[in-house]
Amino acid sequence: MAKLELKDIRKSFGSAEVLKGIDLTVEDGEFVAFVGPSGCGKSTLLRLICGLDEITSGKMAIDGELVNDVPPAKRGIAMVFQSYALYPHMTVAENMGYALRLAGTPKQEIDARVSQAARKLRIDTYLDRKPRQLSGGQRQRVAIGRAIVREPRIFLFDEPLSNLDASLRVEMRIEIARMKDTLGTTMVYVTHDQIEAMTLADKIVVLNSGRVEQIGSPLDLYNKPVNRFVAGFIGSPRMNFLKLGARKGEGGFAVPGGEVRLPRDLSSSPVEIGIRPEHVELVGRGAPDSLAGIVTMTEHLGSDTYAYVALEGSEEMVVVRLSGDRAVKRGEPIGVHVDPAMIHVFSADGLSLASARAVALEAA
Amino acid sequence: MFDLSSRQAKIVFFAALAVIGFFLFFPLYWLVISSLKANAELYRVVPTPFPTMPSLEHFVRALTTGKLPMYLTNSLITSTCSASLVTLLALYAGFSFAKYRYFGRQPVMLFMLSAQMFPFGLLLISIYPMMSELNLLDTRPGLILSYIVFALPVSTYMLYSYFSQVPDELIDAARADGASDLRIFHTIVIPISIPPIVTVFLYSFMWSWNDLLYSMTLIVSDEKRTIGPGLLLTYLNEVNADWGGAMAASLVASAPIVAAFMFLQRYFIQGVTAGAVK
Ligand SMILES: Nc1ncnc2c1ncn2[C@@H]1O[C@H](COP(=O)(O)OP(=O)(O)OP(=O)(O)O)[C@@H](O)[C@H]1O
Ligand SMILES: [Mg+2]
Repeated sequence: MAKLELKDIRKSFGSAEVLKGIDLTVEDGEFVAFVGPSGCGKSTLLRLICGLDEITSGKMAIDGELVNDVPPAKRGIAMVFQSYALYPHMTVAENMGYALRLAGTPKQEIDARVSQAARKLRIDTYLDRKPRQLSGGQRQRVAIGRAIVREPRIFLFDEPLSNLDASLRVEMRIEIARMKDTLGTTMVYVTHDQIEAMTLADKIVVLNSGRVEQIGSPLDLYNKPVNRFVAGFIGSPRMNFLKLGARKGEGGFAVPGGEVRLPRDLSSSPVEIGIRPEHVELVGRGAPDSLAGIVTMTEHLGSDTYAYVALEGSEEMVVVRLSGDRAVKRGEPIGVHVDPAMIHVFSADGLSLASARAVALEAA
Repeated sequence: MFDLSSRQAKIVFFAALAVIGFFLFFPLYWLVISSLKANAELYRVVPTPFPTMPSLEHFVRALTTGKLPMYLTNSLITSTCSASLVTLLALYAGFSFAKYRYFGRQPVMLFMLSAQMFPFGLLLISIYPMMSELNLLDTRPGLILSYIVFALPVSTYMLYSYFSQVPDELIDAARADGASDLRIFHTIVIPISIPPIVTVFLYSFMWSWNDLLYSMTLIVSDEKRTIGPGLLLTYLNEVNADWGGAMAASLVASAPIVAAFMFLQRYFIQGVTAGAVK
């Protein structure tokens, strides 16, 4: 059980600054997910927390104790690596007990803790096997087991499920969710997978080129992204962005295919709006509050159908999420209805402006 | 690689193999049959392709009357010691080059490899006064130390390339588990590197075992002499005419290397190809 605090953490490799001042508090027992585009510094930050790399500047504390110069094993942190990183020449049991052996734990206790963790992860029948005799999912369990056995204060995961196939990934995701409930240990989890982040995390940290863009609960990030980057990053398929054209009367702006109505009390001048695929509807041409366009492509996923609509007089595509049984013809001229309450508005520097949507959510 | 799908290509390819094979194996074949022939048959003007009456008399004589056993023992001692020393040094040097970043790493490695570019005879010119200064002339330790020259650079490079392929995450995992750097090397990296280590040991053993020049120059006393100069001085002189004995002794001298290769070839082949395919 531990609280992790990062203050203005910076990391440079040579002259390249990779982390540019990270401030973050992870509360005791909290599950935090790091998301962000490839190369934004997620792994680097995790390695700093683990103690595998040295922090260039800034302060890191666990339970109020400064740990900048504390070696990894003394931090009470266990890390699960993306490639599992199991010791190939050791059996499963030896892999799991390695850290305890190094720490000088009596053999009896090691055996007890290893078999307990193995039972929990349902790998107790493989204890005598070598890693190469295991499937990918089993290896991942061993990697997690190796972390659990140490009874760490904080668990770190670096994309632990990305090497698994889709169905195993779902299974292991549920496994990790269960582990989070039963252990109640503080966890930091790096992932590329939105669903993993949204379903597992109490708090998501969105990173972008070495900086924190936003920290918040999954729904906060989804409903109230503070800027264009977060708005575009969270949510799948991605939010649709439309450049605003000339003003049209009170609160109205020209956009490709028609015009939209924005709330009047915007603090600065908006240049772009964003609307999620689930907040637009296909309607007939010319319906009120709709933009004219032509369906250029459809994707049928069974549960959902995505229609790609080219708006009239522009290159821009709008993705519309429809129910799975909805049939749409390609090339059909239609209207795209935009729910004004669900519009996100962005200023020239990419910041979210107070929108009708935010006001509505606040009131609710 | 080669396209061996057409018939002609196959014929050409196997013909080339046969020629190479002949040059490689004919001398060996001649060595074996000569050692088994009795003297009368051995000195015929028209040689026989097979020994008509194979006998082990040359072997018995070589192993019982001469100093061959002593030379073999000496070689075994010096070669084992120098191969162990080379392997030990190459292990740590290779790991350091592969997994640590420090000032001068690249130049030092290049410098070491460049030692391999000089003819060993040339290097001996500078080794001789060094050994003389250290009072190591005509001593086993002196010879063992000099043998490092043969195999250390390439051995270090072989282990360096292997260690470079050991995933960093494996080392990080061990570090996170609380292992010190040396501990990681000893308990994780070395146990998974047995094939290249065996390769390097054999490689350096072979160099020392096959040496003639260094041993001939640095060792004077007969009781410390190794097999190379031993064979030479016993069988190649004006008065000697024991052709069969020379053949038998040569075979006995090559036996340890051949045996080691056969015994350890599983590791050896694996070691050579490790890294090429993975
Ligand atoms: N040891 C290193 N030396 C130099 N640069 C490094 C080193 N490690 C990472 N970097 C750089 O730091 C940046 C962040 O890398 P990092 O691995 O943290 O990204 P990431 O967010 O984990 O990406 P991914 O999602 O692809 O795993 C990258 O631009 C990378 O090139
Ligand atoms: Mg990464």
